[in-house]
Amino acid sequence: MMETKTRTEQILKVMRVLTWIAFIGYCIEAGAILFSYTLSYNNPEGARNFYNGLDLFDLREVSFWYYTQVVSFNVAVSIMKAYVFFLVIKIFTKIDLSDPFKMDLALRLEKISYVLFGLSIVGMISRGHTGYLLDITGVEYGLKFTGEFLFMAGLIFIISQIFKRGVELQSENDLTV
Amino acid sequence: MPIIVNLDVMMAKRKMSLNELSEKVDLTLANLSILKTGKAKAMRFSTLEAICKVLECQPGDLLEFSE
Repeated sequence: MMETKTRTEQILKVMRVLTWIAFIGYCIEAGAILFSYTLSYNNPEGARNFYNGLDLFDLREVSFWYYTQVVSFNVAVSIMKAYVFFLVIKIFTKIDLSDPFKMDLALRLEKISYVLFGLSIVGMISRGHTGYLLDITGVEYGLKFTGEFLFMAGLIFIISQIFKRGVELQSENDLTV
Repeated sequence: MPIIVNLDVMMAKRKMSLNELSEKVDLTLANLSILKTGKAKAMRFSTLEAICKVLECQPGDLLEFSE
């Protein structure tokens, strides 16, 4: 007989750890951006090394309002990314690999696709804002998103719908005597 | 669902309990209960055959169509 046992369980264990790392990473990122922003409120030098080498000092000197907008986009994106990983962690805590097709999980997958869609919208607005700031200041300050999150949202949405069909089939299978 | 399972009627006619039927047809009590309460979405031919054999009846005695 052909061997059909997969290494899903081991792979998911590793992915669970990586998801936690990514979640904590994005939480730290959002926290660090907010912390730097709070510091730079009174001390403009704080904007020089904002987060991970990002220098917003010149922008802060041009306009504190534009500076706040760029920071807001950065924080929003970090928080939304952290939330996506939070939802994935919740899936990992709920999933029962002996009976994985549950409606609860399908709905969570769908929710992830909606959050990713929201993230892509924020990304697009941020991109427009970056272009706007480029015209004013001559320097690119914001995030440079392309359509990757929209693509991911679409992909996860399709997977969630297939998963939902799996849930229906599983329930039919359970009720076949 | 328009298909009604008359398992309880046939069991009463043959004076057989759910436990006894479960042992004789080699089905779990949970599955027989799903069948008896009309929650089942499908029934295997092998299950139908086993129940018919034990209850000495025809599939038509167990299943009924009603709109």
